[in-house]
Amino acid sequence: MKQKNKRLFILSLSIILFATGSIILFTNLRENLIFFYSPSEIIEKNIEPNQKIRVGGMVKEKSLKKKIIDVDGRSLEEISFIVTDFNEEIKISYVGILPDLFKEGQGVVVEGIVENNGMFVAKYVLAKHDENYMPPEIKNIKSIRDKKNDI
Amino acid sequence: MISELGFLFLTIVFLVSSLSSFELLMNKNYPKDYSFCQRKLSNVLFFLTLTCFTCLTISFINSDFSLNVVSKNSNSQLPVIYKFTGVWGNHEGSILLWLLVMTFFGFLFSKSSLASTNFKNDVLKIQNTLCFLIVSFILFTSNPFEKTFPPPVEGADLNPLLQDPGLAIHPPFLYLGYVGFSIIYSISVAGLSYKNKSLFIKILRPWVFMSWIFLTCGIGLGSWWAYYELGWGGFWFWDPVENASLLPWLTASALLHTIVIADKKGLLINWTIILSILTFILSLLGTFLVRSGVLVSVHAFASDPTRGVYILLLLASISAFGVVKYLRNHQMIASQPRIHLVSREGMISLNNIFMLSLTFTVLLGTIYPLFSSVIFNSKISVGAPFFNSILMPVMFPFVFGMIMGPYVRWGKDDLIKLLGRLKILLFALFLISFTIWYVNYDDPVLAIIFIILGIWIIVSSLFEVIQYKKGKAKISSLPNKMIAQVFAHIGIGLLIIGATGSSILKKEKIQFQEIGEIIKVNKFNVQFQGVKKVEGPNYISQMGIFKIFIKDKEISILKPEKRFYNSGNQVTTEAAIYSTLLGDLYIAIGDIHQNKTKWTTRIWYNPYTIWIWVGVLFLTIGGSFSFFNSLRKKR
Repeated sequence: MKQKNKRLFILSLSIILFATGSIILFTNLRENLIFFYSPSEIIEKNIEPNQKIRVGGMVKEKSLKKKIIDVDGRSLEEISFIVTDFNEEIKISYVGILPDLFKEGQGVVVEGIVENNGMFVAKYVLAKHDENYMPPEIKNIKSIRDKKNDI
Repeated sequence: MISELGFLFLTIVFLVSSLSSFELLMNKNYPKDYSFCQRKLSNVLFFLTLTCFTCLTISFINSDFSLNVVSKNSNSQLPVIYKFTGVWGNHEGSILLWLLVMTFFGFLFSKSSLASTNFKNDVLKIQNTLCFLIVSFILFTSNPFEKTFPPPVEGADLNPLLQDPGLAIHPPFLYLGYVGFSIIYSISVAGLSYKNKSLFIKILRPWVFMSWIFLTCGIGLGSWWAYYELGWGGFWFWDPVENASLLPWLTASALLHTIVIADKKGLLINWTIILSILTFILSLLGTFLVRSGVLVSVHAFASDPTRGVYILLLLASISAFGVVKYLRNHQMIASQPRIHLVSREGMISLNNIFMLSLTFTVLLGTIYPLFSSVIFNSKISVGAPFFNSILMPVMFPFVFGMIMGPYVRWGKDDLIKLLGRLKILLFALFLISFTIWYVNYDDPVLAIIFIILGIWIIVSSLFEVIQYKKGKAKISSLPNKMIAQVFAHIGIGLLIIGATGSSILKKEKIQFQEIGEIIKVNKFNVQFQGVKKVEGPNYISQMGIFKIFIKDKEISILKPEKRFYNSGNQVTTEAAIYSTLLGDLYIAIGDIHQNKTKWTTRIWYNPYTIWIWVGVLFLTIGGSFSFFNSLRKKR
């Protein structure tokens, strides 16, 4: 009987520990999720400002602009371009070095926040390893566009 | 001609390996008289695959553009070394390499001296069947010998990012690790119905260490490559593919701790088998994630959904086979002696719990986006903050366990007595932490804490050696097991320090830098000297020249590059790094400013980064000691 109780105790203890662990894990996961949207979805869903999200689509042709800005006495290059899903578009601003495979007319994924004025401030412009590779998200958007063209 | 020969050999591999899988599938119904000698089959398979791989390599080196893979991943201008490494720089070739490694392990096992002929046959039957599954995957979904017609005059070139020595060697190492787990799986599944369990563990042991060493090297080389080639200034990005290699590494690390108890005490044998099976399943899962393109990852090759489905089937059938075999054949040992928490066995069990929790966390973070896109139809990604937020708190008990573990005695120990034995060590650790805190007072608290944790591990491991030496005079009399454990633990300590330095303490400056302008980063003064054009074998490079001064003394010249490849218009960034023991100065160069006198430059100071690589080296050395130790024990 005593042995049985002890086993029960250990079992319940480990279940409790496991449950607490899982709860911590899942709450953490929830807090750190980054949602991915297409430009249309951003306009549709009214994303709250200052929420970290990812946006993906095509870099619009001839939308890449560079501007010099001054931050703390250092001159920096502010890059801006437009990401489009051929329905809606969103303007992105970014300070930093663009990945090598960044090109107008090609797919891109950026991570950052939407500011109050509707401008998307990117913290990262995600690079790819392979120029033929396209993130599935963008592929999906592309397929929607292709369908639209068919109609 | 040679490519046709390669295809022919591949087909023979398929036919020969199907014999084994047929025999495995029929199980007891298979007529004994017709049974093949699996050892011979495995040798045949290895040499056939080797020939097949050689054929593909020759096609690459001769730039045979009538082959689809060659025309897409090579170019006549490509330096010969990259023509050679281009063989595994693509999906088809890398899977062929995978098969080659798999048959190679079967071949090695057939030469193993410890196992009986019967047991070898059982193991190799499973191993050859695994080869059959892979070779059918190659034949039906990713045939490297597929032709294009008409053959193009010039190939499209190997992805320039892959034209680099670091990348050239990292996949073979990674595969030797990943695929090494296949033989562990085969041994474990066959070992389930093997009576002599202690011999089974002795057979398994060296393979576990060997695969673990290769995987560790592979992951280390991969992150080293990412660090200097991708120009992002970091070494680990929690990318799904990196996680995929980390998953089997974590369970394998748990396994190599457990197998020590299994060998010494005959405990936890079933658990060892479960871990072995799990490790191989996780390495297959990794392959699935990389190759199917279901996850957003920078690593994914241009992908094909049928491959994903096939790998998923493969994964399901191999896991199911392992699980069913386990449920049918595992033997409950009636009166297992209990494991006390405060004992070496107890501490190792705790290590396993931590390792598995980490595995679960990483797994969750990696595949949750997949679930959510299938079930909730919302596209999400899980970034570094999630992994860090779990990893950091878990690190504390983990490090405490690592410090105490080696001092706890086998069987049963007493916590109070243990602390008594460690008086000096604890006092030393206290003093050291205090000093570090005082010296690095200005750094972020978190960074100081983690650096202290790392140093604790190193000091306590060194203390082990000192304590041992007190008992016996000579340092050469240290047992291999202890050397292995001390090296590996110091490696982890160094890794913690390096990772902390290069993440929390990292300093970054991006700016327009005029020619002659000096930017101060940490103690370094970085003077921009201008940019010159340099022609490489198949690219033109813009090479920035930076003079590095400490105070007024010139110490080095760094030359980061931006390379424009002649084919395909691709550009790569080659960072330049000046490494010191305290930290790396890391420079990448960007675009030119409109007025032609300024360039975007990105300068990082990454403290302690070099210790990451030293840490990996220590882990490898530690693993090697264990490996040779387990080999020697055999005889």
